Amino acid sequence: MTAAQIFAVIIFIAMFVMIVLDKIERHYVTLGSGILTLIIVFGICMRSGKAIWDTIAIKGFVTKDFWYQVTESESKGINWATIIFIAGMMVMVEGMAKAGFFRWLCMKIAFLVKCKTIPIFITFMIMSSVLSMFIDSITVIMFLAAVTIELAQLLKFNPVPMILSEIFCANLGGSATMCGDPPNIIVGTSLGYSFFDFLTNTGVAAGICLVFTIVFFYFAFRKEIVTEGSSNVDLSKFPKPSEAITNKRDFIISSVIFGIAVVLLITHAMTHLTVASIGLFIAAITLITSGKNALELIKKVDYKTLVFFIGLFIVVGGLEETGILELIAEFIEKISGGNVMLMVAIILWVSAIASAFVDNIPFAATMVPVIQSLAATAGVNLNTLAWALSIGTDIGGSATPIGASANVVGTSVAAKNGYPIGWGKYCKKLAPATVIVLAISTVYIFARYL
Amino acid sequence: MGQIIISVGREFGSGGRVIAETLAKRFNIPIYDRHLITEIAEKTGLAPEEIEKYNENPKHRLFSRSVRGYSNSIEDNIAEMQFDFIEEKAKSGESFVVVGRCSETKLKKYPSLVSLFILGDMDEKIKRVMKVYELSEDKAKAFIDKKDRKRKRYHNYHCSGHWGDSRLYDLSINSSRLGIDGTVDMLEKYIRARMGEQG
Repeated sequence: MTAAQIFAVIIFIAMFVMIVLDKIERHYVTLGSGILTLIIVFGICMRSGKAIWDTIAIKGFVTKDFWYQVTESESKGINWATIIFIAGMMVMVEGMAKAGFFRWLCMKIAFLVKCKTIPIFITFMIMSSVLSMFIDSITVIMFLAAVTIELAQLLKFNPVPMILSEIFCANLGGSATMCGDPPNIIVGTSLGYSFFDFLTNTGVAAGICLVFTIVFFYFAFRKEIVTEGSSNVDLSKFPKPSEAITNKRDFIISSVIFGIAVVLLITHAMTHLTVASIGLFIAAITLITSGKNALELIKKVDYKTLVFFIGLFIVVGGLEETGILELIAEFIEKISGGNVMLMVAIILWVSAIASAFVDNIPFAATMVPVIQSLAATAGVNLNTLAWALSIGTDIGGSATPIGASANVVGTSVAAKNGYPIGWGKYCKKLAPATVIVLAISTVYIFARYL
Repeated sequence: MGQIIISVGREFGSGGRVIAETLAKRFNIPIYDRHLITEIAEKTGLAPEEIEKYNENPKHRLFSRSVRGYSNSIEDNIAEMQFDFIEEKAKSGESFVVVGRCSETKLKKYPSLVSLFILGDMDEKIKRVMKVYELSEDKAKAFIDKKDRKRKRYHNYHCSGHWGDSRLYDLSINSSRLGIDGTVDMLEKYIRARMGEQG
């Protein structure tokens, strides 16, 4: 191993350990590690200005391909498209939240099913999946969990099973599209896939799995979510959905912008607009239409997450430039003995197990170059490996309370309202559900692609 | 009497809780310690035993994660609820004594805060703990070490200052010097002086 490789690995491992220990905020950890990579690995060990330049990847901004792309291409280094897209969606989501969109939607659906517990349970699972296809799962769960607790207190049922099911479905829904979960955005923008590519591949898997998931949770939780007392609910005593809307004009505008975002994402393979352009456009129209509130929305953007991504991409760039990720790919090829099925299964299950315990974003960012290299050397179809990686990282995160952001937010909202959810309570039903969904997905990938 | 908030940090076995209770009686104000747990239990509908399990406990780093200020750790959430609770009380203008809960840092912005830290000599603390918990000397020592380690980790996780560092408190006092009653007398005088009253 060269000095550059050794330092790249040390920085990467140290970064992962620090993220897990959670002693220093994770964006400082990745940014610090990124700077160390640039200085030690690229500067001192490799003396390569080109490596630094390639990894920082700022020149991408001025290329037409970054914004308007006819032929799909792969990117390297800091994935600015991911960062711009996520920032744009954050601005949009802040606008929607401020107008009361999410609370209104949750209350509206609860009213449509006449506030009956089991129908709420099922429709909220579906809503969680569908919303997470377009919006980050943290926001989806933040609102869904809060409304679930509110309804639970009014209808006197235990909200914990419902929140757990919503968390699981948010992660499952996120796996269905390119913008549903950060690993997918990274896989999609790095390998040049479109929204539609995801929808017709991981989306189909998620759809099949959702049916099994609803059935599984229904049987797992049906005894726990029975309403105490009579089943007749007096809807007049409930807060009306319309009360959730803070400002009618803002509400309509934010709903329209959300609609535009969905349309642009679905059609981006045809319009050739990249996700970076869509993110920028959505942020711009949200800010323009919000007038004097624009500054407030910008302030609410979660910069820490964006900085976290930037640092992370640099560190992974260090592993990539020094050839470490190729070594990992060779290792996977070797232990699978060239057996494609085994290789795909390893990618899916190792991604899932790793994502259950560590942040799936750094994991996905690291694995993308690995599967690229694996596809080039072992002759496996890159698409198949990409879908296995996406499904593994997205779904695996559901197994434990710390596997994905939605889990942390959901359990935290529950705890703050007097429903603490420990590891035991969480894993008892969600770990088996994760294993079932992963098994179904494995069969799906084998049957469809191999 | 204007608002007075007395925050009492303490080493385990130093008599800090008794001192806090006595001060509360002398100033005729409520004390939040165990009571903090019952109040939160009432508010959330949780069993007090359940809150007790996570009370003033540091979280397990490997088993917890925070996302945008949300944490899956129950310890963290219980801690936040308690911080919010004392903050609300302080904001409302109520006078009270609060034991632990990082209150010297969390309520620092209130001018009416008097922050105290009670420590003690190890042999005195061991004697106290042996008596109160009916333990042997070795066990008492181990118990004290364990409890203090926990408090320190809890405090230093939630605050930037170090637990027991004199710079964090208005007054740090060794209760073994004057005894519990003598310490309370001295503290009462100090607090009255702070309140601008004659002792």
